Amino acid sequence: MQGAVLRGTQSGYELVLRQSASFDQIMTDLRDLLEKLRVAPESEAVTNFSLDVLTENRLLQPDEKKAIETLVSEYPKFQIHKFESGVMTKADANELRERETVHVLSRTIRNGQDLEYKGDILFLGIIHEGGKLKTNGNIYTMGNVHGILQAGFPDDESKVVIGDTHDAQQIHIGEQFTILDDDADQVNAQTVAYVNDLHALSFGKLANLKKINPKLFNQIGGL
Amino acid sequence: MGKAIVVTSGKGGVGKTTSTANIGTALALMGKRVCMLDLDLGLRNLDVVLGLDNRIMYDIVDVAEGRAKLRQALVKDKRFDDLLFLLPAAQNTDKSALEPGQVKTIVDELKPDFDYVLIDCPAGIEQGFMNSIAGADAAIVVTTPEISAVRDADRVVGLLEQHPLTEEPRLLINRIRRHMVNDGDMMDVDEITSHLGIELLGIIFDDDAVISTSNHGEPVVLNSENPAAQGYRNVARRLEGETVPLMKVEAEAAPGFWNRMTRWFHKG
Repeated sequence: MQGAVLRGTQSGYELVLRQSASFDQIMTDLRDLLEKLRVAPESEAVTNFSLDVLTENRLLQPDEKKAIETLVSEYPKFQIHKFESGVMTKADANELRERETVHVLSRTIRNGQDLEYKGDILFLGIIHEGGKLKTNGNIYTMGNVHGILQAGFPDDESKVVIGDTHDAQQIHIGEQFTILDDDADQVNAQTVAYVNDLHALSFGKLANLKKINPKLFNQIGGL
Repeated sequence: MGKAIVVTSGKGGVGKTTSTANIGTALALMGKRVCMLDLDLGLRNLDVVLGLDNRIMYDIVDVAEGRAKLRQALVKDKRFDDLLFLLPAAQNTDKSALEPGQVKTIVDELKPDFDYVLIDCPAGIEQGFMNSIAGADAAIVVTTPEISAVRDADRVVGLLEQHPLTEEPRLLINRIRRHMVNDGDMMDVDEITSHLGIELLGIIFDDDAVISTSNHGEPVVLNSENPAAQGYRNVARRLEGETVPLMKVEAEAAPGFWNRMTRWFHKG
């Protein structure tokens, strides 16, 4: 059984590195394969092989990737387009889950407490004056916010804060912020706080979310 | 085995020391064996409030560093027959002279011999605070009906959530001025309690006698007629597990017209 197999697909070529083969085996077989292709007459028509390297259920270490790239670069006809693996590390998986889920959060954030999350948050708890809730995603609040909210932490201005924040002290989105003192009366449960084209934080109506942030609107199922 | 309770607040001047002295005395009046620990290193004054300042031989740092035995350092309150003791703070050392571990050792050594170990926490949330909560099983968070005190109490409750004790912290609202609450000029008890979201242990009315009695080194709680004293006695009873209704904040119904007239004549 070959450790490295070349497959043609509609969109290009896949280089499959068998997970059952050892890495040394793969390197030997890959060299053989490339060498064979270099001299094979039928490959002469094709001048440019763009390869998707599939590693099956194997995660290549950076130095292993490097070794494969070096080997392939010896054959100018071939370029590596990308590496793809059927598996991911637990750390990556957790991070993905954190990023993709909406965290439902129902707790009290007190003065001086500074909570940081990844992903979107549906907030149902209480933030006391001086408490701070940060996330790199969006914040939807149905809770009682007297403290500080920060969506898109630290610098993503495409995020929004939706919900009643008229009692909040500050709202931050990315690097933009507003102090609620002056704007508080225009804020209600149907308010979207977002960063506009002039990079200023402003408030809009939930009904206008499609205009305000089309990407989010589509992602959450709006039409 | 006794229970160690830390009295803390975050903000200074809300009455931690006064409350410690009075709750401790009230518990002793109920026949409990109580030891009070002053952890306000460098600024001790629990001894003064109790009128025990002239009896201090050794302090808590002496005990922690092995210069004195715990028994030698305990100051006995003569008014109570072997019930009330004080372990004073050091006066001439740095605030960082104690470690949380040392305090815990001392508290653990005291607990078998006493029903209550009351720990008087210094203001602030630095090392003194960490020392104070190290050996504690429960906490009393003291606040006054002022926004600054409530805000700091909120911070302290948050810190206690991060360093959880065996029991949830309970709230003591100190220095309530009845007439201001009734006029709506002061935050009321329910507002503070629901904001902080912890169980209310008791309320203490503001009373001149609290100051005048501590100036004589005699906790106000000894005078059973005084409203502040009653508040502290109620707190002590609740700590013992009794169900005691809260004292009413509303002033007695405003005196009627005739009442006022007669009073006016009496004045003359």
